[in-house]
Amino acid sequence: MKMAAAEKKQYRGFWRGKLRKRDLIGWALMLPSILLFTFFVWWPLGSNIGLSFFASVGFNATRFVGFANYETVFHDPIFLKALLNTLKYVGWSLLIGFVIPIFLGLLLSEVVHFKGFFRTVLYFPSMISGIAVVIMWSYLLDPNAIGPLNAIVVALGGTPFLFLSDPHWVIPLIVITMTWRGAGGTMLVYLSALQTIDNSLYEEARIEGAGFLQRIHYVTIPHILPTIRTLLVLQIISVLQIFYEPLVMTSGGGPNGESESLMLLAYQYAFLDAGTASHASLSSATSVILSALIILFTVVYLAFASKQKKEPENA
Amino acid sequence: MLKKISAFFSKVKTDLAKRRREKKAERKIETFSGKKDGILAWSDYRHPGAWIAYAVGIGILIIFAFLALAPIFWLFVSSFKGTEELNDVPYHFWPQSFSLTKIIKVWQSQNLGIYFLNSVIVVVGSVVAAVFFNGLLAYAVSVLKPRGYKVIYALVMLSFMIPAVANLVPLFKEIADFGLINNYLPLCLGAGANAFYFMLFKTYFDSLPKDLFEAARVDGAGDLRIFFSIVTPLSRPIIGVVSIFTMTAAWSDLLLPYLVLQDGGMQTIMVKIYSIQSTMSTSGDFPPDYLLMLLCLSIIPQIVFFALFQKQITATSTTSGIKE
Repeated sequence: MKMAAAEKKQYRGFWRGKLRKRDLIGWALMLPSILLFTFFVWWPLGSNIGLSFFASVGFNATRFVGFANYETVFHDPIFLKALLNTLKYVGWSLLIGFVIPIFLGLLLSEVVHFKGFFRTVLYFPSMISGIAVVIMWSYLLDPNAIGPLNAIVVALGGTPFLFLSDPHWVIPLIVITMTWRGAGGTMLVYLSALQTIDNSLYEEARIEGAGFLQRIHYVTIPHILPTIRTLLVLQIISVLQIFYEPLVMTSGGGPNGESESLMLLAYQYAFLDAGTASHASLSSATSVILSALIILFTVVYLAFASKQKKEPENA
Repeated sequence: MLKKISAFFSKVKTDLAKRRREKKAERKIETFSGKKDGILAWSDYRHPGAWIAYAVGIGILIIFAFLALAPIFWLFVSSFKGTEELNDVPYHFWPQSFSLTKIIKVWQSQNLGIYFLNSVIVVVGSVVAAVFFNGLLAYAVSVLKPRGYKVIYALVMLSFMIPAVANLVPLFKEIADFGLINNYLPLCLGAGANAFYFMLFKTYFDSLPKDLFEAARVDGAGDLRIFFSIVTPLSRPIIGVVSIFTMTAAWSDLLLPYLVLQDGGMQTIMVKIYSIQSTMSTSGDFPPDYLLMLLCLSIIPQIVFFALFQKQITATSTTSGIKE
């Protein structure tokens, strides 16, 4: 309370008081970074929102059109598909990728044999993320003779899958490859949260006669709940931005746009549909809609984060 | 009498067996004596149920470890296959030969040295920019707190979750307007405006004891002096953390480098791989087994990097709370 009052006082003095030497040095140190943030983040962010309300030729805004670009994209069937697919990606990633890291973190925190080995190996895929891994998966999932997974299926007597060419399976399969890459990193975060649990809580539970599942239910889960909430929101935010996987694995959103995502569509409007009228504005409108979705979840995340700060015993 | 003797012997026998079982159980529990914490502590391993659960747990971990490694292993093994061999029916896992000359052939066919060098340039530049600019901004916001710093702090936080590439069109236009197409500068400097790295630095600086700065100030040290003789040496751990993040991100980055580096000879290795992959199905002049070998070569630096800094990397992603 005292702090807030002092800050308020300082703020009131902002325009009136003399600038101290320290303020000048501070701003001088911040200036280069401020220029960079302006160039790479703030100006593009602002002008992107601006451009979404203008018609454009090439990458240049021409005249104000209000919400016309938003209307156009909302009438574009591929946009609607991309929006729906992006939500599908999020849904599938929560279904497939959300519980696995928690489960692995729990297992790893209980294991005493080869703990370091398991931790390293499970984290390994997160380390070599990159376009190389995405291309690697497109070969693993190749439906032709070159693909090893279908070879296994055939050897076991099954009929070969279409994998990424199957419109019903393309999103879940992409999510599986994303989980393969991301689960290890998330697992480590859970592991560190699990290691901060005060052991006396477990001892108490043991004395009270709580069994294995009861201990998880009453001690473990409540303790890592803040971490679970935080990582849930972060996962949603990162999956909303899915781009490279459909770009590379399904050559830009195939089959028939069934793996198209918002981010990919924003890229395609801008750089591949260069012949269409106002293609740059449509791209801007698409990324503004995506950004709005991300900001929505960021607000939720920050709410969680500040709540966490207020309850340090849970953090 | 005979009955009594046989009863006695059977009692001894069961006693011995019981003692042996107990000893065995004790020995088993001993392997867990170090495990004083966790959901199941060592004392719980008296029950056979805990043993079964533990064995199942280890089994599941082995399965997941296999799933984590198998695709990479497949990639390395298959990259030695010939072009026809890849499409062989029935499928066979091992290549006919592991000829090392193939690595040289693939390397020379695309003159890969240039692209690796380009990647190294971008990575080094990005690391320098990420540490210098984000660190400086965080120092000013966290320690100096010049009048009005909160405006900047709020603006940085605003862009925390919005990825730079979401505003692709204006960013690309800006880079083109400044004449920075085919230039490494925008790729490196872009790492200098990263809200996440800024937050890592700020959190670290916030945790430094404030008395330290006050004491130095009382001794007459200026703000710049404090930065170079106190803050910089103390910041080595966080500089390491941000460097590791930046290296991985810069090595893997594709979209902006792909758009900015239009000159073929300037491409980074990941851009090169993507441009080969996206055109090979139509041009057909680059065999898929070469691409597999190329993928291996491109991730070897990352694997070496991981092997060298494994401890720091796992500690890093744990403490930061956010994965890449």
